[in-house]
Amino acid sequence: MKKFAPLTFLLVLLAPLVSSAQTLDPGKMLKPPSDTWPTYNGDYTGRRFSPLAQINKTNVGALSLAWAFQAHANGLQSMPLEVNGILYIAGGNQGWAVDARTGRQIWHFARPGMATSGGNKGFAMWHDRLYLSTPDAGLLCLDAKDGKQLWQIQIADPALKAFGGVAPLVIRDHIIVGTSGDTADLPGFLESVDPMTGKIEWRWDAMPKRDDTVAWNSWPHDTDVATRGGGMTWITGTYDPQLNLLYWGTGNPHPVENSESRPGANLYTCAIVALNPDTGKLVWYFQSSPHDTHDWDTVMTPVLFDGTFKGKPRKMLAQANKNGLFFVLDRTNGKSLISEAFVPANWVKGYDDRGQPIPDPDKEPKPDGVLVTGGVGTNWQAPSYDPDTGLFYVNSRETMGVFYLTMPGKSAEGWAGRDFFLGSKSMLKAIDVQTGKTRWIADTQGRGGQSGILSTAGHLVFTADSSGNLVALDAATGKVLWHMYPGGSLGAGPMTYELDGRQYVVYPVDGVVYAFALPAPAPVSRSAAPRTSH
Amino acid sequence: MKKPALIAFAILVVAVSLSAQQVGQQRPVRPSAVEAAAQAAAAERGRTAFKQNCAVCHADDATGGRGPDLIRSSLVRHDKGGDLIGPVITGGRAEKGMPPFPFSDSQVADLVAFLNAELTLFDLHTRFGPYPNDIPAERLATGSVEAGKAYFNGPGKCNTCHSPTGDLAGVAKKYTPPDLEVRFLYPSGKPSTAVVTDAAGKKFEGTVVLNDGFYVSINGNDGWYHSWPRSAVKLEVTDPLAAHAALLDKYTDADMHDVFTYLETLK
Repeated sequence: MKKFAPLTFLLVLLAPLVSSAQTLDPGKMLKPPSDTWPTYNGDYTGRRFSPLAQINKTNVGALSLAWAFQAHANGLQSMPLEVNGILYIAGGNQGWAVDARTGRQIWHFARPGMATSGGNKGFAMWHDRLYLSTPDAGLLCLDAKDGKQLWQIQIADPALKAFGGVAPLVIRDHIIVGTSGDTADLPGFLESVDPMTGKIEWRWDAMPKRDDTVAWNSWPHDTDVATRGGGMTWITGTYDPQLNLLYWGTGNPHPVENSESRPGANLYTCAIVALNPDTGKLVWYFQSSPHDTHDWDTVMTPVLFDGTFKGKPRKMLAQANKNGLFFVLDRTNGKSLISEAFVPANWVKGYDDRGQPIPDPDKEPKPDGVLVTGGVGTNWQAPSYDPDTGLFYVNSRETMGVFYLTMPGKSAEGWAGRDFFLGSKSMLKAIDVQTGKTRWIADTQGRGGQSGILSTAGHLVFTADSSGNLVALDAATGKVLWHMYPGGSLGAGPMTYELDGRQYVVYPVDGVVYAFALPAPAPVSRSAAPRTSH
Repeated sequence: MKKPALIAFAILVVAVSLSAQQVGQQRPVRPSAVEAAAQAAAAERGRTAFKQNCAVCHADDATGGRGPDLIRSSLVRHDKGGDLIGPVITGGRAEKGMPPFPFSDSQVADLVAFLNAELTLFDLHTRFGPYPNDIPAERLATGSVEAGKAYFNGPGKCNTCHSPTGDLAGVAKKYTPPDLEVRFLYPSGKPSTAVVTDAAGKKFEGTVVLNDGFYVSINGNDGWYHSWPRSAVKLEVTDPLAAHAALLDKYTDADMHDVFTYLETLK
């Protein structure tokens, strides 16, 4: 059993590489984010909790604009990275390095002849290199110094409607990357890529393998449906270095919304899987939507934290799922601690002995339509967990959907149904991880948009409401303490870092990246001594 | 070789429909009506040839059977004007038991046109296709006219605001079946109205533009836009669709089918 060895060993091995001040110290990914935000979630836990407290609930009302960066791109969904005073922001086929002090562009990378706007969830960084998954399902490696492309590989086939956009995850010397797309039936997988060469090291498939009888027997085999598709891996997972386990959520099975073509649980779709990041081998799984017929992807961030649960110390994993349910698991083995709806969810008949929901067949899509609640209870935009309050913050929606089965029968393909959501109520909820019950609700006003969340040791929760206001809330009560309308909607979520002793909160909004801070202290004013360069 | 207009069209449809995901492909040129008609005719000829020669292994709709699924074939999806498909058709795949078919260039072009038409159709079956106005009324009208009418005049209290001979006369002709169902369940587009009383006691009436808890703004009945800090005014909002929102949580699936079946008779 390798418990401590891989990490320590590699840190020692890589020490000589960490010579230049501008490269990313891999140790930063193991700590809560303060002066560095080195990964999609700020650290490996997915908590999006920063120990920074310069901006706090007593002074946040004075938060004001430090700078704004015009990316001249539409709909940024990127979580910026911040490493050694530089922000790295990804777009569909492009990326930017921006001075985290001044908001001035350092370099801009754009793939020649490619569409330049669009959703990408963010870069991954390894030492002095950046990794970008592209709309045409490739993976690019860039030199962080100047944005020059070093290499490019193909992850999946865009002609078969695969695309990319997930922020890859760096684990030691592995770049873990997933894939997107469910237009056609398409199999989902995770791959580990060598950061220097782009060589594929391992591949884990969401589709069942014959020698894995549990997964194999959860699909029918009188047709080829078990080989065709499902289980997309389009949101970044999390990692526990002590257990050496990688946690990742998988998307819905194909054909979408058709039950008859695939009786069984359809593993490993709509599941949280725990993999060994060195081999890609599955260690455990928890299926949050067995036999999904509603497109309830399970890609939402699996958030890791430790504590006591019912008097026992536990290593936990929590997820607020698109299906309207909140789960807390023991992340050493995937055993269920809490399964509880956080919005009304009429598609659930009960829970099995593993804590997995049992879907109600009466609420499967029907040719003449069926009314379903619970859908898109939340989406991919990241939640946050605050260890000080013990609360899990999630932007939730209470919805009523009508689901039509448009391609009945066993031979259905691709999208076999249609769903319409008939109005929804958006609410930021704070869920107590000890009980799964909602402690407070901040009415985020109106319908539609959802945003990622950041919590900080300043007893604050940063997010955006669905009227497009950026807001900071009291982490304990949900009271709004600061708000600001930025003229667009927040695509990803806020992040924070400290530089020159000043805490910044950064929000990408459509094509603009805003940095907020408390009013400038004396050393940064024009009349003071020159700034030190980074 | 002919200009592969239908392929271009198929890519255009897919590229436009996937624009939210920003597929990194060059934007193709939309074919002219003449080109599109020529390709549709070619696809029809190709359909006949495919049925006679290929369907026994690949199925009528090319999704495969004894032979491979061509809709999900990487080779087919990467084909440009027959450059990949053509050699397979004319040369066969002996190792997989597919004989060569000695078709002319124009016959191959017809088959390629057919396959691309099928790809387009397949891709439009998807989430990213157009609004599914093609769900026929008889598929949705599985309830009872009488029960729907009783719900309309009874527990639904629909007759408080609506009349089958008044505002709803001919409503089933006005909307496609899924439109009609979605609209009666949860109509949209009717903004809330508000009466705003400012600190001086002056009243303003109009339709709500913004009410986010921080500010309130209206398009006033006086023709002017007005806004206030929320805390500075008294606000009464009326949602004309409140009854629909309240009903949405009460409908059973049977209620939905009954009401639709009844409304579908209002032609």
